[in-house]
Amino acid sequence: MKRIFLLVLALVLVFVFAGCAKRAVTTPVEQEAPKETAQKAAPVEQTPMEAEEPVMAKAEPKKVETMPVREITEAKSFQFGNIHFDFDKYTIREDAKPTLKSIADWLIKNRDAKMILEGYCDDRGTNEYNLALGEKRAKSARDYIVSAGVTKNRLDTISYGEEKPLCKEQTEDCYQKNRRVEFVSGKAGK
Amino acid sequence: MNTGVRCQVSGVSKKLFPVPCSLFTVLLLFIVHFSLFTAAEAKIYIDITSPAIKKLPIAIQEFSGTEGKQIADIIRDDLEFTGFFLCIDRAAYIESSAEAFNPKNWSVIGAEAVVKGTVIGEQNITAVVSLYDVFEGHEIFKKQYKTGKSAIRQLAHTIANDIYKHITGEEGIFGTKVAFVAEDEGKKGLYMMDWDGAGVKRLGIKGNFVLRPHWSQDGSKIVYSSERGGQWGIYLLDFTTMSEKKLFASRGLNIAGNFSPDGDEIMFSSSQDEMYGLYNLRISDSKLTRITSARWIEISPAVSPDGKLVAFVSDRGGTPQIYIMNRNGHDTRRLTFEGSYNTSPGWSPDNKKIVFVGRVSGKQQIFIISPDSSEPTQLTDKWNNEDPSFSPDGRFIIFSSDRNGDSSIYIMRANGESQKKITPPWLRAFGPRWSPN
Repeated sequence: MKRIFLLVLALVLVFVFAGCAKRAVTTPVEQEAPKETAQKAAPVEQTPMEAEEPVMAKAEPKKVETMPVREITEAKSFQFGNIHFDFDKYTIREDAKPTLKSIADWLIKNRDAKMILEGYCDDRGTNEYNLALGEKRAKSARDYIVSAGVTKNRLDTISYGEEKPLCKEQTEDCYQKNRRVEFVSGKAGK
Repeated sequence: MNTGVRCQVSGVSKKLFPVPCSLFTVLLLFIVHFSLFTAAEAKIYIDITSPAIKKLPIAIQEFSGTEGKQIADIIRDDLEFTGFFLCIDRAAYIESSAEAFNPKNWSVIGAEAVVKGTVIGEQNITAVVSLYDVFEGHEIFKKQYKTGKSAIRQLAHTIANDIYKHITGEEGIFGTKVAFVAEDEGKKGLYMMDWDGAGVKRLGIKGNFVLRPHWSQDGSKIVYSSERGGQWGIYLLDFTTMSEKKLFASRGLNIAGNFSPDGDEIMFSSSQDEMYGLYNLRISDSKLTRITSARWIEISPAVSPDGKLVAFVSDRGGTPQIYIMNRNGHDTRRLTFEGSYNTSPGWSPDNKKIVFVGRVSGKQQIFIISPDSSEPTQLTDKWNNEDPSFSPDGRFIIFSSDRNGDSSIYIMRANGESQKKITPPWLRAFGPRWSPN
């Protein structure tokens, strides 16, 4: 019995020390790395710093709230697959048309539904142009759905360019996966 | 790990955290300096405007005092990067720091200019620096500088600027800053650092995504695009008040271009109303003027520093190419013809060059072109190189590259020489833009 007690005690001590050790290791790292979030830095009540230091933290801009688009995106793609595009192009390919047609049919049946079309690119190319390309891809998809009888105001578009890739390998397979439009259905986010 | 200079905030919590000292380190920096001696006539030691430059051999002696070596090293690194100086190895010096300047000790090792200095103080530092002409055997200038210990790098950059000015007759860029985008906890945020990569600081601004910022010509504000709440908007950060203002947001894509020379207008691209277009927005009264209207892509407008022309990207011909037009949208002409992908134009401060990104064998590379010619010069060739912008003196280019794995920020001379990574290895960094002052 005593041995069991000692064993338990030993285990408890191990865990306690493990906990302490872990904390002792991580805390300074967290302080050192420039990882402080803006929320911590934001309060305007901070008193100014010492004389010769520049006074900037005081009025650091408030952190911007993250918005609901991401929540919706989690629920997407279960209903509709993505459509894909050729490199540097934003024209609708033949293989995308059945998907677009089924989305149009679904929207015609579900009159309350709205949809966000998200345009994406592979990571080759420059950021700003890729954003424009993603926007054009989303708009091409939207125009196709509109031409199938859905009113334009039920469809919204946004481009993420080369941000948020589905995969990161430098292969044609992966590039193709990333050159896409995703369809997010719901109450249109906002 | 280099987290750079931090400002200590003594708040209620007494907690130390990094804050953006940014360019106001320079503005508010308590550096007192005054000339103790000035040469009667200004002599130019290196004519850096000449096409064939002979590097000036210079000796930068370790300053006396505890911070003396660090200060002298920063000055040496600053001057050496310009490519106009040949810094002679300290091992070759005959004269010690404590000894008085004797031109004979320096001419034998080939030095033509010598920098000597003393540093005193621990918290409040006073540096006295002299620059000597070895041939003439006299002092070119002597100056005293004072600052707090935390601003030692700025102190060294200020001294380097003075030396550079005396030797070349031009303003140095050693006190400039870089605004850029970096990844922080999976989100992109705006950052600031010194031009040499020291003093990396977050500006505390985050959307889900932030694009590379543009400076106003007086350096008092930046404008940038950010995706927030499912919308791309254009935002302005004013450094004098450290406040952010939304300038424009709508459905579609809105991407900020740069400021007009007076800082009261910005150009941007928007697809708010089905058509792509380039717009001019006057900030003081929010007057919005549409400049172009296109069924194709038109983005990345860059107003020339003299305010006369706009370079931008359009795929009107089937591939993205750089075009130039007048500010009012007239007289559009295509600038780039080589290759199927040319984007991201940026002007040199003298309006004579445009730096841009072109695609070569599937990789992005940095090119430079004159706005009146069609003969681009390629400056990079390793992996992808993007987001170029000129230094305020037009002699250097800053850009991002993934040549060593993750994206980092690099600087080089405007002819492509001396490419050098400046961001720390732990930071994924993109979209640098050099401050104008």
